[in-house]
Amino acid sequence: MRCLGDFFSSSIGRKISVAAAGLLLCCFLITHLAGNLLLLAGEGTFNHYAEVLEANPLLPAAEIGLALIFLLHIMVSLKLKYENRRARPVPYVVQKGKGGRSWGSRAMLVSGLLLLAFLVIHVKTFRFTEHRESLYRHVFDAFQNKVYTLFYVAAMIGLGLHLSHGFQSALRTFGVGHSRAMSAIKRTGLILSAAIAAGFALLPLWFGFMAGGAR
Amino acid sequence: MNLTLRIWRQNGPTAQGRLVEYRVEDISPDISFLEMLDVLNENLAKKGEQSVAFDSDCREGICGMCSLVINGQAHGPERATATCQLHMRKFKDGDIITVEPFRAKAFPSVKDLVVDRSAFDRVLAAGGFISVNTGNAVDGNAVLISKDRAERAMDAAACIGCGACVAACPNASAMLFVSAKVSQYSLLPQGQPEREKRVLAMRKAMDAEGFGNCSNETECEAACPKEIKMSNIARLNREYLRATLLSE
Ligand code: HEM
Ligand code: SF4
Ligand code: FES
Repeated sequence: MRCLGDFFSSSIGRKISVAAAGLLLCCFLITHLAGNLLLLAGEGTFNHYAEVLEANPLLPAAEIGLALIFLLHIMVSLKLKYENRRARPVPYVVQKGKGGRSWGSRAMLVSGLLLLAFLVIHVKTFRFTEHRESLYRHVFDAFQNKVYTLFYVAAMIGLGLHLSHGFQSALRTFGVGHSRAMSAIKRTGLILSAAIAAGFALLPLWFGFMAGGAR
Repeated sequence: MNLTLRIWRQNGPTAQGRLVEYRVEDISPDISFLEMLDVLNENLAKKGEQSVAFDSDCREGICGMCSLVINGQAHGPERATATCQLHMRKFKDGDIITVEPFRAKAFPSVKDLVVDRSAFDRVLAAGGFISVNTGNAVDGNAVLISKDRAERAMDAAACIGCGACVAACPNASAMLFVSAKVSQYSLLPQGQPEREKRVLAMRKAMDAEGFGNCSNETECEAACPKEIKMSNIARLNREYLRATLLSE
């Protein structure tokens, strides 16, 4: 274990940290999505879920942990990207490549920054806010603002893109990547990212455009 | 065939480089890309102009000395082909072809299309070898190696150290090269005594040269003339993680 310091300053070690944080964030997203989908079960069910969650004495600790994981992921990934820029000081005049890159991999930084902007607004709208009456109503009201709703959906498309590359890349970074396993991993990653993005985008679309008079 | 070439000319390591346009005429489709550049250089010499500096040695795809980014693609448009094995029949009469050097901070410019790839040598010197005591040669069949392992080690050992992976990588990362070298030893019994030490040392040397960080873009695999696989990069990550946890 003598080389743990080396590990966290190394290229591979920091990649592994970003990937670990990224996969933990994926786990969080899945539980978060499951909770959100209770919105479709109606006001009573969702508000009850929210009350039970907020009554859990371990919630503050979990929130701090989550914030630290986000912070680690964002700071280390931005540092890696910055170093990558510096690793080629004179750019190519013509850059075509041979078809290795995907849309998702090209968009990693942009989709990440979009997610960061979304995160700040999202936490402000739904976490650090007073919702005296009902969290369900609060969500409903928030999605009546069409600009916000569309921004939310755009951010979820960004999330889907981010994960379409991120999931398979993270597994490769962890050393999973035999040629045979890889096609299954890629497929799983695409299905997972599409499902997560579509799941989250469903709610603003539902409350913003479909359930207009359902309040 | 007649072609227009836009070639990166740069007088020295610190000089300002730029693309310069040249015409070459009556090029046979059967000659290689490097032979086409030889024709250009003969024309330039006749006119008393400075010839274009570019690297090559074996010209049969085994030494790793040739380079070039042709129309934005390392080693040109063909898969699994080094520039010296690329033939002019892959281009069309009247094409405009842009030729640039491999670009990376770790591969500083020497002149025109020549860059200094000795960073790879230093990474190899850090651990890309096995130590063997002198004495009688060991019986060839004394150490059993499964066919499957031997094949994978041989596939990794096919790397010719050309640097196209670095050139093609959007991050100028050297992971494909380093992973090939780490893999060829870690897969074989002869590589085991120095397994952890090797990967730790080569990782350190790689980072010290200023290569970028891998983000699994897979452009390296697509550009590699020897078809070194991305699975080697996964193995390098695994080997590094393992060595970090296990070495005392
Ligand atoms: C919503 C939560 C997020 C999840 C689930 C997530 C997930 C991931 C995953 C799995 C990876 C792949 C790691 C690897 O390549 O090994 C990744 C990479 C990356 N993430 Fe995120 N991410 C999230 C938010 C963000 C945010 C807010 C940023 C802000 C800048 C960001 C920036 C990046 C960048 C730049 C990379 C590429 C790193 C590299 O090229 O090495 N991510 N992310
Ligand atoms: S991995 Fe392929 S592209 Fe990279 S140095 Fe070796 S042969 Fe060249
Ligand atoms: S000149 Fe030797 S590989 Fe191309």
